[in-house]
Amino acid sequence: MNVETNRAQKGLAGSRMSNESFITLFMIGVLVALFGVACAVVPNFYLPQNMINLLTNNWYIIIVGIGVSFLLITGNFDMSVGGVIALTGVLSAYFCQAAHVSQNTLANGLGLPYGVAIALALLCAMGVGAINAFFIARLKVPSIIVTLGTMMLARGTAQVVTQGAQRNTSLPDVFGVIGNMAIPHTSIKVSVLIMVALVIAAFIFEKTTVAGRRTYLIGANPEAARLSGIKVAQHITCLYILSALLAGITGVLLASEFKAGVSNRAMGCEFDALVISLLGGVSISGGFGSVLGMFVGAVILSVMNSSATGLLLSPDWQFTLKGVVTFLAILAQRYALDRRKG
Amino acid sequence: MGLTEYVLEIKDLVKDFPSVRAVNGVSFNIKRNTVHCLVGENGAGKSTLIKILTGALLRTSGTILLNGEEYCAHNPREAKQQGISTLFQELNVVDQLTVEENLTLGMEDTTFGFLRKTDKIKQIIAVMNSLEPSISPGQLVSTLSVAQKQIVEIAKAVATECDVIIMDEPTAALSEGEIVRLFKIIKGLRERNVTVIYISHRLDEIFEIGDYVTVMRDGRHIDTRPMAAVRDRAELIKMMIGKTVFEQYTPKEGASTKVVLQVRHLSTRKLRDISFDVHEGEIVGFYGLVGAGKTELARAIYGVDRYVGEIWFRNKRLPCSPDGVIAAGLALVPEERRSQGLFTVLTVRGNVPVMNMGKISRGGFVRAAEERAVTQLYIDRLRIATSSTEKEAAQLSGGNQQKVVLSKCLFAEAGLLMLDEPTRGIDVGAKSEIYGIIRQLSAEGTSILIFSSELPEVINICDTIHLLYDGSIRETIHNGCDIDSERIIHIVTGGA
Repeated sequence: MNVETNRAQKGLAGSRMSNESFITLFMIGVLVALFGVACAVVPNFYLPQNMINLLTNNWYIIIVGIGVSFLLITGNFDMSVGGVIALTGVLSAYFCQAAHVSQNTLANGLGLPYGVAIALALLCAMGVGAINAFFIARLKVPSIIVTLGTMMLARGTAQVVTQGAQRNTSLPDVFGVIGNMAIPHTSIKVSVLIMVALVIAAFIFEKTTVAGRRTYLIGANPEAARLSGIKVAQHITCLYILSALLAGITGVLLASEFKAGVSNRAMGCEFDALVISLLGGVSISGGFGSVLGMFVGAVILSVMNSSATGLLLSPDWQFTLKGVVTFLAILAQRYALDRRKG
Repeated sequence: MGLTEYVLEIKDLVKDFPSVRAVNGVSFNIKRNTVHCLVGENGAGKSTLIKILTGALLRTSGTILLNGEEYCAHNPREAKQQGISTLFQELNVVDQLTVEENLTLGMEDTTFGFLRKTDKIKQIIAVMNSLEPSISPGQLVSTLSVAQKQIVEIAKAVATECDVIIMDEPTAALSEGEIVRLFKIIKGLRERNVTVIYISHRLDEIFEIGDYVTVMRDGRHIDTRPMAAVRDRAELIKMMIGKTVFEQYTPKEGASTKVVLQVRHLSTRKLRDISFDVHEGEIVGFYGLVGAGKTELARAIYGVDRYVGEIWFRNKRLPCSPDGVIAAGLALVPEERRSQGLFTVLTVRGNVPVMNMGKISRGGFVRAAEERAVTQLYIDRLRIATSSTEKEAAQLSGGNQQKVVLSKCLFAEAGLLMLDEPTRGIDVGAKSEIYGIIRQLSAEGTSILIFSSELPEVINICDTIHLLYDGSIRETIHNGCDIDSERIIHIVTGGA
């Protein structure tokens, strides 16, 4: 190869962005387009308050989306997060409800201090993550099977503890504080701040840490990762426990916000988390993606939900609209990526 | 149509791959109703030729006549329809079905959707019975031995009136007794108007069963003659290796006597009682044909597969897990570059530092500048042809991908580097560059194990060569000017 073509190629490669930036920018483009359409057809969609809502009202899906995205990058699913949210919420309520105060079993709890109750509830959440990890990383059972199982298990336990309903009586006042705290003079809740902090931390993790690097290596080629000395099973175990912990934190915050441990809280949340990861460009076969993309995906989903509500569509049509747009967005994304490669 | 004397006539057959001409103007004929053996070293072009016959590959040019008529298959199914059936090493039977269902798979006749026993099916069962009465049609295939499964496949080929059955290393997984039975059946196939093309590394088998033998070397046809016209193994081996000019090996001055690796009585499912020592800076080669146990040995030392026996490195016993072995100071360039060595969806920068992340990070955080510098260093040192550190590994050529995998292992700064088929599928230029790197590492004191099925490669760079056959070390040779490649081939093909 002569020097000139070499240099020309180097120049080209320099100006060429990575596939990841390409996908993220592409999805931001999709988001802007969707937002434009929504502004044109939905009344009052452009109002600043609505825009803030778009960015913040999906906070709980985004928090669990972090764990789900990282696992997806390693080539594994986590469908148990919705169940874990419900379980942790219910348990956090049950643990700090006053003990022996009522004839009604749903009003009686363990009477533990709020801090202890939360810590125990989070520990239970991590226990579910550990069960996932044991079957997936050690026994090599396909992750989709295991986590669908623990999804049922976690939600089922939540239903047993609440007798299929919720626990909302004889709770201490402190229970409802953190979930309803907001930045003074705004509608932005502490939960949203926690979400933002976690997304930033996750972004730093994936871009700059050795553990973040390993996450991608395992997803790109698990066999080569093992032969390169990466402790694959151990890493996946940590990620499952992390994912369950994030779901647990979400569960505690949601329970606090509603001052109740509700057994059917965050129903279907695992699918939303999966959808925003995929919308954000995380590859379903692993090795590729970013939490930043996932965040963009979450906002796209939010725009869809919000405009469906704004158009006064009935809930069943909302679901269909969401499905169609998700499908088209992912299709467009794959098409663009293939064109780029070819 | 009168039957021609030759069932297959191959003329000027050529197959080009991107960097190599695998089959180079091959012409020979195969006589009807004979057992025709095909021999040659690894890479001689046998497999490519067979793949063209079975429809797995398309030829670049040349003609093949089957029964005097032009033959061309685009896939194994078409090959079968035209009369060429293949017994692959990976058997093509469905374990969950019965023998009868397997035999009739794809030719079921139905009435209103119900299966019907036709004459054709009865005939197949009859053939099956005459070949091997001990197999009953109602038996589940999963209960059969490998040999019996092969017989089921042969029966199917015979019953569907195939003219040619290709057998690729059929005895690789068989016991002595089963081989005898299989050979009896193969001999009986002549009377059923079937021609067998038989491929094996085990030369004794060729002498026992072959009517004709064709020798290939470096993609060319060397000779085809009746088995009776081949005097002995030695003559056949001479034809297989020819007068290959090896690059001159130069013995090292003042080789170290310090032993770094000791393997004692290592056995696995495939390996039998392997013991050897490796000295500091020594290049040790393991040579054997396909299935001799080279890769299994590399994987056992690396802790990937379970084993019994002991492996000591620098006076410490090696654990049985890759991360522990790497921590102890070993590294492996695996056999399958794309599936075991390379992270194809990641960039060159994402690949090179993987095995020694500690060196480019502080407190768990990657130092981006160091990471880029290290990658650039290896790109320059190994002359990896890539436009930047940010190019996806998948977009590099085979030789450059191998250099990336090699960089990964070099950056691990191992005291002992294992290379499994380090130059497979890469061009001559990249090959000699890789040899240069290996020699330099050895001079710097790194011990190197090379697992290879290419004799020139082993003779060219190794100080000590262990010859593997059937999972054990048959002989150990210290490289020097009096190396006898004919004797080597004799041993690795099972000769005493």
